[in-house]
Amino acid sequence: MTPSGAAAHPHVFAEATLEVAVAPDHVVRSLGHVWRFDDLFSATVVMEFDKNRDLKLDEQELAEVGRTIHESLADFDYFQMVTADGDEVAMKAPERLIVAYEGEQLVIMFESEPAKPLKLAGKVDFGIYDPTFFTAIDFVSDDMMMVRGLPADCRRAVIRPDPDEAIAQNQQTLTEAFFNDPLGTDYSKIFATRLELDCGGGK
Amino acid sequence: MKARAHIGRRAAAAALALAAAAALAGAAHAQSSLGIGANEATLPSGGLFAHILNWVNAEQQRFYRALSGALKSMRDGGGGLWLLIGLSFAYGVFHAAGPGHGKAVISSYMIANEVALRRGVVLSFASALLQGLSAIVLIGGVYLVLRGTSLSMTDAARFLEASSYALVAGFGAWLLWRKAGRRLIALARTAPALAAAEAAGMPGATSALFEATDDAADGRDGGMRAPGRSGRYVVADCSHPRLTADRVCAECGRSHAPDPAMLSDEAFDLRAAWIAIAAVGIRPCTGALIVLSFALLNGLVFGGIVSVLAMSLGTAITVSILATLAVTAKNWATALSGGKSGWFHAAIEIAGAALVFLLGAFMLAASLSA
Repeated sequence: MTPSGAAAHPHVFAEATLEVAVAPDHVVRSLGHVWRFDDLFSATVVMEFDKNRDLKLDEQELAEVGRTIHESLADFDYFQMVTADGDEVAMKAPERLIVAYEGEQLVIMFESEPAKPLKLAGKVDFGIYDPTFFTAIDFVSDDMMMVRGLPADCRRAVIRPDPDEAIAQNQQTLTEAFFNDPLGTDYSKIFATRLELDCGGGK
Repeated sequence: MKARAHIGRRAAAAALALAAAAALAGAAHAQSSLGIGANEATLPSGGLFAHILNWVNAEQQRFYRALSGALKSMRDGGGGLWLLIGLSFAYGVFHAAGPGHGKAVISSYMIANEVALRRGVVLSFASALLQGLSAIVLIGGVYLVLRGTSLSMTDAARFLEASSYALVAGFGAWLLWRKAGRRLIALARTAPALAAAEAAGMPGATSALFEATDDAADGRDGGMRAPGRSGRYVVADCSHPRLTADRVCAECGRSHAPDPAMLSDEAFDLRAAWIAIAAVGIRPCTGALIVLSFALLNGLVFGGIVSVLAMSLGTAITVSILATLAVTAKNWATALSGGKSGWFHAAIEIAGAALVFLLGAFMLAASLSA
C-alpha cells in the first residue's frame, strides 16, 4: 500500500540551489537555500499579497509573503531532511526568509544550521523536498547542490532516486510506514533528490 | 457453497472497511506546506496501483509544465491558444486520474444509488464544469473585489473547500439515512415482536430474522426459520395481513409495495443529483486557480478561461470513466451474490453512502484543523 503522498502531485515548482558550507574541521556550518518559484505560482502570490492593488509586490508585501511561508514551513522542517548514517539530524529553524520578486518569479533565500554541531563522518545526506508533495523542488543539475570547503577525504554525490525503483525497493517499508503512521509523510523522502557526502569511517 | 459465500462477504466487508480506513488516512494535508494556496486532500492508493499512479503523476506534471510554457509564450506575444487548450484538456484528464475526493464522491454516490449510467456521466460533466466555473468566479472576485482586503484568495479557496466537504458529509449522511436508516427502523419495529417471541419460549427468533435475509441472498426466499433446530417453525409469514403506514411489512422488514416516497423518486434523484454536483463542484481546483491568476495578471483572460474549461472537460471524461467502472463492478458483484434482493446489494449501497459521509467528514475535519 503506497500512501497518499506518492500519488499526490505538485502544484508549485521551484528551481533550487543548495550550498552546504563545511569548516576545515569537518563541521557543517550552514545550509544555504535558494528557491526560485515558477511564474504561475508567483502570479498567485501577487494576487494574494498585493494589498495596495498596484499589481506588484513592494517591500512590505514581500515581508508578509516571507512571514507566511516561514511560519508554514516550520511544520515541515523547512523541507530539509538531513541524516548522518541514516539517523535524522535536527536542524535549527532559520531566523528569517529573504523574499524577492525577480522578473516574474518569486525567490526565497534562507540559511539554516544543525541544532548540534554536525561533524562529517560516514555518510551524511542532505535531502531537500516538500514532504506533502505540494511543491516540487527541482535541482536542475547536480551542480545545484554545492559544497563549500569540501574536505579532501570526502566524496560528494547527488542521488536522484527513480520513483518506480524507489517504490519497488521500499514496498515493505512503505507498507509498514503506512500502517504505523498513516498520517505521516516519512515515505516521501525515498523520492527526494539528495546530496550525499561520504567521508569514510562513521559508525 | 454457503461457507464460501460467507468468506466472500467477509472479504468484501474487510475491503470496504479498508477503503474507509484508507479514506481517513488520506485526508491529511489540506493545508499547503507553503501556507499559500490549498493543497488537495488526496486518498491513498493501493500498492497495485502505485506504479500506474506514479505514471499518471509524471504525465500530469509534464502536461502542467507544458501548459505553463504555453501560457508564458502567449504572455511573450506568441500565439498558441489551441496548444494551450489541448494541453489543458490533457492536464484535466490526468489530473482527475490521480486520487481525489471528487471522483470518489461521484462514484460512491452512484454505487449507493440506482443511478443510470447516463445520468452518472451527466453528473460528472456538470460537477467538473461547476468546478471550473467556481475557479473563474473566485479569481474574478479576488481580482475585482477582494484584492487589497484582509480576505485572501487562500482564505476564500479554503472556505469553498470546507463548504464542499461539509456538503459532501451532509449529503453522505442523508444518503446513509435513506439507505440504512429505514432498514434500522423496520428492524426496531420488529424487535418488540421478536422479544415477545423469545420471551414466549421461541429462542432464536431474533437470529432467525437475520438468517432469513441470508436465505434470501441465497435465493431461497421463504418463511423465517430458526436455524439449527429440528422443528421448523415460522416466526412470521409474509402474507401481510397488515402493512404499516409506510408500506413496510413489519414482520419481514421489507417493503412489498412501492412506498409513497418511491413514487417521487424521479424528483428525489434530480434533487440528490444537484446536491452531488454542488458538493463536488463548488471547490475550485488549485491548478485552475494558479493558471487563472497568471492569465489574469498577464492580460490573457480569454486564454485562462478557455484553459480552465478545457481542464474541466478533461476531468469530466476521466471521472465519467471511473464512475462507470465503479458501477459496473457493483452490478457484477451484485449479480454474483444473488441479485438485488440480497443483503450484499444493500450492504454495497450502504457502504457507498457511508463512504460519501466519511470522506466528507474527514476531509472537513482535516480542512478545518489545518
